[in-house]
Amino acid sequence: MSADTFHPRGPWIWRIITFLFWYAKEFILANTRVSLDVLRPKGRQKMSPAIIAVPAASESDAEWTMISNFITLTPGTLTLTISREHKILYVHGMFVDSREALVAEIQEMENRMLGAMRRKPGDLSRPVEAPVVEPVDDPEAGDIQ
Amino acid sequence: MEIYEIAHAAGLVLVFVGILTIIIAGIGLFRLPDLYLRASAVGTSAGLGVAAIVAGVLLMDFSWLNLIKAIVAIIAQLLTSAVGSMAIARSGYLNYSLPAEITHTDDLMKTRRDNFSK
Repeated sequence: MSADTFHPRGPWIWRIITFLFWYAKEFILANTRVSLDVLRPKGRQKMSPAIIAVPAASESDAEWTMISNFITLTPGTLTLTISREHKILYVHGMFVDSREALVAEIQEMENRMLGAMRRKPGDLSRPVEAPVVEPVDDPEAGDIQ
Repeated sequence: MEIYEIAHAAGLVLVFVGILTIIIAGIGLFRLPDLYLRASAVGTSAGLGVAAIVAGVLLMDFSWLNLIKAIVAIIAQLLTSAVGSMAIARSGYLNYSLPAEITHTDDLMKTRRDNFSK
């Protein structure tokens, strides 16, 4: 965990309010950014999409659902799938300059969201780089790949 | 009647912001290169457009019952557009829809047995 990662502080109600306002700000900024890039002429568009494995700190079903929803709801980022076993979110980003930039952005959102959802935020440390997940030879029943 | 007129004007502005957002999302459908960019940029922008129109209409015709209806409608709209985008993108990936050429990193490909890009 890098030193400058955001860690939620303060009483619970304060964390909820700051998360909502921070998310509204991010939401509007992302919207303008995506809209401008859609309207820009071809050849000068700035998009550089990528699918990145982001290590996550979520635990319960509700937390996984909400973080995937919040990521997808922000224009320009999209949760493709999650791996709860390896604690990874697979995120498709529209403006990904580097792996670390997208991971930092998503992990800050997750830190703030977990701070708002949990009475006590607890330990939010996780690695910046996700482990490489190899396909298993014996998939579970019903797993179509 | 002062406050009524201000709310009416703000409502009109919100409705037009919503219309503009949906038009830009429609242009994006044609201009973006692959399924995932379209789902991430357009799916939720269109959701936001509808939400802005609902909020604008609420301001133009305010009542407490309408406020409750609008809050429920906006939350349901945003949730379903997010879940729908994820379902479309995931099923596209499982059905061999390749990301566009400009996609520079693809971590999800490493988890696939068939590695269909190579």
